[in-house]
Amino acid sequence: MRRVPTFVLLLLGAAVCVGLDLAYDAAVSADRGYKFWLTIAVMCAINVVGATALNIVNGMAGQFSIGHAGFVGLGAYLGGFVAARVALLMKIPLDELRDNLSLTHSLIIFPVVVLSVAAVCALVGLVVGLPSLRLRGDYLAIVTLGFSEILRLTVLGTNADSAKNPITKGIAALGGSLGYRGPSVPGGDPGDFVGIPSVAGPFWIFGLAALMVFLAYRLKRSGFGRALRAVREDEIAASAVGVDPAKYKITAFVLAAVGAGIAGALLVLRRDGPGIVTPANMKFDKSFEVITMVILGGSGSVTGVAVGAVLYTTVFYAAEEGLLQLSRNYSAFADIDAAALRMTLFAAALIIVMLVRPEGLFGEREVWERKSKGGPKPPTSTKPAVATEAEA
Amino acid sequence: MRTKHPTRPEPPESFASAATPLLSVHGIEVRYGGIRALKGVSLTVRRGEVVALIGSNGAGKTTTLRSLVRLVPWSAGTASFAGQELGPLGTEEVAALGVSLVPEGRAIFPNLTVRENLELGAYLHRDARIIGETIDDVVKLFPRLGERMRQEGGTLSGGEQQMLAIGRAMMARPSLLLLDEPSLGIAPNLARQIFGAIRQIAEAGVTVLVVEQNTRLALEVAARGYVLRTGEVAKEGKAKELLEDPMVKEAYLGG
Amino acid sequence: MLSWLQNAVAQGAMIALVALGYTMVYGVLRLINFAHSEVLMVSGYVAFRVDDRLLGGYERGGSKGLIIATCVAIVAAAVLGVTIEAVAYRKLRAAKGATARIAPLVTAIGVSMLLQSVAQLAFTATPQKFDPRLAPPMWFVIVAASAVMAALYALVHLTWIGKAMRAVAVNEEASRLMGIRPSRIIVFTFAIGSALAAIGAVLYATTQASIEPTMGTSIGTLAFVAAVVGGIGSIPGAMLGGLLIGLLGELVKSTSYSGMKDAIVFVLLVLVLLVRPAGLLGSARAEKV
Repeated sequence: MRRVPTFVLLLLGAAVCVGLDLAYDAAVSADRGYKFWLTIAVMCAINVVGATALNIVNGMAGQFSIGHAGFVGLGAYLGGFVAARVALLMKIPLDELRDNLSLTHSLIIFPVVVLSVAAVCALVGLVVGLPSLRLRGDYLAIVTLGFSEILRLTVLGTNADSAKNPITKGIAALGGSLGYRGPSVPGGDPGDFVGIPSVAGPFWIFGLAALMVFLAYRLKRSGFGRALRAVREDEIAASAVGVDPAKYKITAFVLAAVGAGIAGALLVLRRDGPGIVTPANMKFDKSFEVITMVILGGSGSVTGVAVGAVLYTTVFYAAEEGLLQLSRNYSAFADIDAAALRMTLFAAALIIVMLVRPEGLFGEREVWERKSKGGPKPPTSTKPAVATEAEA
Repeated sequence: MRTKHPTRPEPPESFASAATPLLSVHGIEVRYGGIRALKGVSLTVRRGEVVALIGSNGAGKTTTLRSLVRLVPWSAGTASFAGQELGPLGTEEVAALGVSLVPEGRAIFPNLTVRENLELGAYLHRDARIIGETIDDVVKLFPRLGERMRQEGGTLSGGEQQMLAIGRAMMARPSLLLLDEPSLGIAPNLARQIFGAIRQIAEAGVTVLVVEQNTRLALEVAARGYVLRTGEVAKEGKAKELLEDPMVKEAYLGG
Repeated sequence: MLSWLQNAVAQGAMIALVALGYTMVYGVLRLINFAHSEVLMVSGYVAFRVDDRLLGGYERGGSKGLIIATCVAIVAAAVLGVTIEAVAYRKLRAAKGATARIAPLVTAIGVSMLLQSVAQLAFTATPQKFDPRLAPPMWFVIVAASAVMAALYALVHLTWIGKAMRAVAVNEEASRLMGIRPSRIIVFTFAIGSALAAIGAVLYATTQASIEPTMGTSIGTLAFVAAVVGGIGSIPGAMLGGLLIGLLGELVKSTSYSGMKDAIVFVLLVLVLLVRPAGLLGSARAEKV
């Protein structure tokens, strides 16, 4: 690939995103039917962000983190909170807040959201990752799962009526099991909430997706990425050549946490978004979905994972729509539990992929790369099994 | 030391003669990726013999033993034990034939007691009466183990663990005993003790193939020896002759 | 006070039964069998369906019917556990490199999700309940669970296959040199672990929980934490961990933080892992089964 100056790429990317944004607006106003495909496109982009982030720690660094949903949820709650508060501060009228924000307003609010989400997730990621990366690989899975579940269960179990002390009261402000709808309307009824502003227009979403993929690719190709790969393959060997595994693992974990948080923020702040953040955003199912995207695309491949995310999201929504149609048109399918059926198919698909092609669609290569030559490595043994020519 | 196994069939009569080798290895090649660790190793071990396999680190001695018990696949060559081809067999099946390997680094079970370690050595026949007798034999061989029957394997010293490893291998009443570096990491006088025990084992009729870096100890107990260098046999001959051989003396015996 | 303690110990005993499955499989395979919780759930359904539909529930079958149903559930669980091992995990054992560590875990999670959603399709999410008259008293739960655990301990320490299990957990290669076939031992381990889960499931389902597709996850999570806290790979550890988690759970339920019981259990897990990663009875040097 001929080297194209980075800033030209960025400029081009920004232009594409503005174009997409305008196209989105045009399509939405033109024909309601397009909405279905647009939703899929937006969700694809958000999932690309999330999956690319997870790929950094699971794929490139080879650490099995299954607490992704926790950071997604964290980003979602925080993003909603910050966006609503800043919007209120900017005195944006309630009607606009509840509808879709203009691009100009979002230009101010959104970067603030991203920065705050990134900062908090980085901090939390450090706190979670630092002690657990001392442990053996399987334990990271346990701790990340624990983190994600602790977060979810704490918010879920703390409702306004059961909150007795200041700590739980603070957590209850997040809405508990009912979900968070933003701060209360100033001067309004207690049950009246501002709602989560739809700050993230398609410009931001597609832009961030493209940026994530770009950055992840540069990361992979950099010295950092190479070191990460060395740590993944053989920690002991890596430290023998001066690479500190802990430093790289933690950095990867923090980067993944930040990416996940941003994905979470996008999830709730998107146009025609849910308007509410619930503990369900942090369920393990979410982590499972993102893991599937990474595995499907190929752990370690940036574009592969992006493809995996797009593929998964498309199939997901197509399946949902298909099942919906089936249940409408054929009475035999009317009672079918669509969510359970979908999960069955996806879980089965994941198992099959793991058995037949555990490296995923692209393995570690990027979409445009070919399979490289390289034989299997010698097994490690107590003595060097390889004889050198210069023997006694 | 009683060595006849009551339920394992004896090798057919034709192999009872001393002339036909018990273990016959031809041109074994082992590859790790693109590298050939063994480039065509051939050796024979006759019934009742003690054969030593010597050479420096990385020459392929451990790989040879491990390939014989099929822990490592080979890409060319054949090996047969008592007329039985080892190639298609799995490690467990080789053990069932009467071949016991004492692995490098002992590899005893640290969480099991000395007695349990020994008992597991007899896993293939599990006959309580025979086990009792065999344990007595092992204790006669290594009295120190007798004192430590109830201790966990992990609490033993290096030398004691080596004794345990050998005792455990003997519990299966093998016809062929393979030893991988029994003196590694062991104090010299203890190593001498261990080789004394190996001699006793051989005198009881067990065929022995011992891989050793301590060339002198190995050649003193063996009848014949093979010198392995960079994955192939560089020299072979009677142990006494090898001890006097100038190349061997210079390379492995310190001049 | 005494009844509270009895309750807590009974809880702990049931959790311990399930925790043993996690710990034993981890001992021989170094794999966290995420699907174990779903085996638990399926055996709960099997026991219920057999008792309810085939044996007439409380009216016609009575306690004898329940016992028969439990035996059927045990067999079903063992078969399911062994099948999962054969289909999902066995092939991945030979993999090398970075994939080797992650692939089995991913597959385990996949199997867990699959079973859960299939159960939801087959049985719907509506909880089913055993007839409360079938519920054994708490002291019986304690005695029964303890007897089972004692039997397991005897199996692991006094029988050949038990010793082979402990050997394979520590050094698979050396075990093979002795003629032990690790694949057989692993199958056996899965079978026993699943059987224990089935017993735990029936005890749980009859005394308190309702049977629903998520039942595996809720009990399994507690059992999993118990196994890790006690020292994953250690059988006495799983028993101790189960007891502790049972006690902790009952303790939390009686305070104002009862809604956060699961969260607190997880917090304990994380704390133990940070302070003493090998668990209470685990050892850093060798994994004990």
